[in-house]
Amino acid sequence: MSDNKTILVVGGGMSGITAAVEAAEIGCDVYLVEKNPTLGGRVAQNNQYFPKLCPPSCGLEINFRRIKDNPRIHYFTLAEVESISGQEGAYEVKVKVNPRYVNENCTACGDCAKACSTEIPNEINYGMDTIKGAYLPFSFAFPLRYVISPQIIGTPDAQKCKDACKYNAVDLDMKPEIVDLKVGAIVWATGWQPFDAGKVEYYGFGKHKNVINNVMMERMASLNGPTKGKIVRPSDGKEIAGIAFVQCAGSRDENFLPFCSSVCCLASLKHSRYVHEQYPDAQIYIFYIDIRALGKFEDFYTEVAKDQKVSFIKGKVAEITEDPATGALTVTAEDQLSGKLSKETVDMVVLATGMVPATVQTRIPADVSYEENGFVLWDQNKRGIYGAGCVRKPMDVAAAVQDATAATLKAIQSTVRR
Amino acid sequence: MADSTIVKPDLDFIKDVKSLGGDSLKKCFQCATCSVVCKLTPEDNPFPRKEMIWAQWGLKDKLMQDPDIWLCYNCNDCSVHCPRGAKPGEVLAAVRNYSFINLAFPRFMGKILSQARYLPLLFGFPILLLLLMLRGNTIPSGPILFRNFIPYEVIDIAAGVFTLLVFIGLFTGTNRFWTILIQGIDGAPTLLSASKSYLIPVMSKILRHEKFNDCVANQIRYYAHLCIFYGFVLCLIATSISAGGIWAEKLFFKGNELFLPPWSFFSVVKVAGNLGGIAIVVGCLLVLYNRSVNKDKAGAGTYLDSVFTWTILCVAITGFLTQFARMAEAAFLAYLFYVLHLVFVFYLLAYLPYSKFAHMIYRTVAMIFAEYTNRKK
Repeated sequence: MSDNKTILVVGGGMSGITAAVEAAEIGCDVYLVEKNPTLGGRVAQNNQYFPKLCPPSCGLEINFRRIKDNPRIHYFTLAEVESISGQEGAYEVKVKVNPRYVNENCTACGDCAKACSTEIPNEINYGMDTIKGAYLPFSFAFPLRYVISPQIIGTPDAQKCKDACKYNAVDLDMKPEIVDLKVGAIVWATGWQPFDAGKVEYYGFGKHKNVINNVMMERMASLNGPTKGKIVRPSDGKEIAGIAFVQCAGSRDENFLPFCSSVCCLASLKHSRYVHEQYPDAQIYIFYIDIRALGKFEDFYTEVAKDQKVSFIKGKVAEITEDPATGALTVTAEDQLSGKLSKETVDMVVLATGMVPATVQTRIPADVSYEENGFVLWDQNKRGIYGAGCVRKPMDVAAAVQDATAATLKAIQSTVRR
Repeated sequence: MADSTIVKPDLDFIKDVKSLGGDSLKKCFQCATCSVVCKLTPEDNPFPRKEMIWAQWGLKDKLMQDPDIWLCYNCNDCSVHCPRGAKPGEVLAAVRNYSFINLAFPRFMGKILSQARYLPLLFGFPILLLLLMLRGNTIPSGPILFRNFIPYEVIDIAAGVFTLLVFIGLFTGTNRFWTILIQGIDGAPTLLSASKSYLIPVMSKILRHEKFNDCVANQIRYYAHLCIFYGFVLCLIATSISAGGIWAEKLFFKGNELFLPPWSFFSVVKVAGNLGGIAIVVGCLLVLYNRSVNKDKAGAGTYLDSVFTWTILCVAITGFLTQFARMAEAAFLAYLFYVLHLVFVFYLLAYLPYSKFAHMIYRTVAMIFAEYTNRKK
């Protein structure tokens, strides 16, 4: 066995960041590979954590600081693992680093963005708004450096960006690079994708403008989101008088996502707080099969349940219709406590969609075991590569941090096993 | 707690419903997707979510008293969208089976009809009966005339006797059903007087196949049932004219061959019969096709469904074979198919109150009850 004590962490979200920091702080060298232009992952897209309702930027910034201060961590953004060979203790990994077209001279002054006239869909905001072709992903992005979208490369806009930069930071000739890494163990923390609710025909997601999902709700409520934190109807910007949350939208359903993602109930309860903070008189309906607010989260549920303006209706929504004239939505469920069909007309519907492991779309290019839904397994017989966080099972942020720590310990063991 | 309810599960009932085609019922986790996707569900009292939990808890009495069981058309929109594969449509079909089996008079007939092991007995009986009715013990010579093989009078007498038994069975069964339905309703009418008031609107709904057309997942069933239903009506017309002719000859026009079969291929009897037969075959094939392609999500149907469909199909096919063999002057085959045809007809009609065919009557009664109680939808 090699004594390569270097660990590769794939995915720069909360789990990956945790794994990288934990491993580096006990003395391992760490490579952190992130697909996007910034670290932070889904957490950076959240408005507030449940149950304390504190902003995620706080925890993220501390971790960014730990990365910055630790010379053992080498991170790559816009990078993806191409191939893995070797075995536990001695892996050879090829990483493809895509061009950012902006080098380390960047001061994030934003002149390039001002010069650029092309707008591209803003992925951070799930396409709810657009962003300039030269952009900073979000205000506290790490690294704090602009990106030039490949979509404007080759257009006059790209040249305009280059000309606008006072620091000679724009380099339009950057090419993709392949980096070869030798590591002893790998932590795979590529996270999750929101379930595509468009697959559930009867919800009209993607058809009815005012039907959104829970991750879009997070962006809407965020000050750096598409509406600057104001929750309004997407169709016309109208304020919210009534809103419905549809729990298990595609989840626990063998036709779509057979498992429970464990966080959507708390997310919707949290969203009800967002709504009432802005519209104290708004009527909120939460349609559920069961509210899964377990352990310490039960208090949060109890608090929300006291709210007279929040109606909990036991019954899954299986129909959403739109009034084409007003954009209002009518949701139908069987209210099991009254035994009648409940039809509520609201301004906006939030689908509580679950988590699809990123490994459904992009498998790990190595011999790794998965469970039936595509989550990575910790297989006793296949050691050396360990899933961490939501790629291993659905979980909340705090659990992801713990899970990443556990995976890191396994990875460290793999680097020293004899 | 004063308002608490003590649930007394009937475990045998749960077992029976499972064995009658509802084996998926325990998978239900009460999300109520079914009650929303169902196009036939009344808003003020939706189904089948409540039926699913009653079935899981073995609340037999509640289900037996529930007209919704019979106002489901098994289109399986619910089963297709069920997140758990609990197949509410199949469970309701199983509860209907349980219902008519146990309402049947005499009850043992219901039990016999619902179990595959009695199938030889059930077919053996009409075979034996027909053998006793044969005019001689050889194939008659000369032109093929079925009356030379088995006298029509004997067939009609047997038909009369069994029709009477069927009526007694149905009358008793439906009255039992009605008594359960109207439990707790003060001054409820008898089934007869309710029929007088509501049979016409109900029949109009049935003839128009209105409810079938509401289903989404299984649109094909609308055409299948329509074919079989109107195929039967045509065959009934053909048979009535035919039997009427025979008795007219016997009573009023002795020796007048005009009133006796075989009829010309283009006579009303033949045209109606053949068209009806074709419709039935097409309808049955649609049913079988539909079940086979939808079996994963919607369920393949219960034992009683299969026996019923195949019996109808065999009635039509043996009917055609008899006709073709006669036209081809293949005497042995013609008489053989004729006997087989009568066996299947016997199975279909004489066992009507105890087979899936009973749905025709019980559903009609439930629809009358729905009209009477002014049920929405």
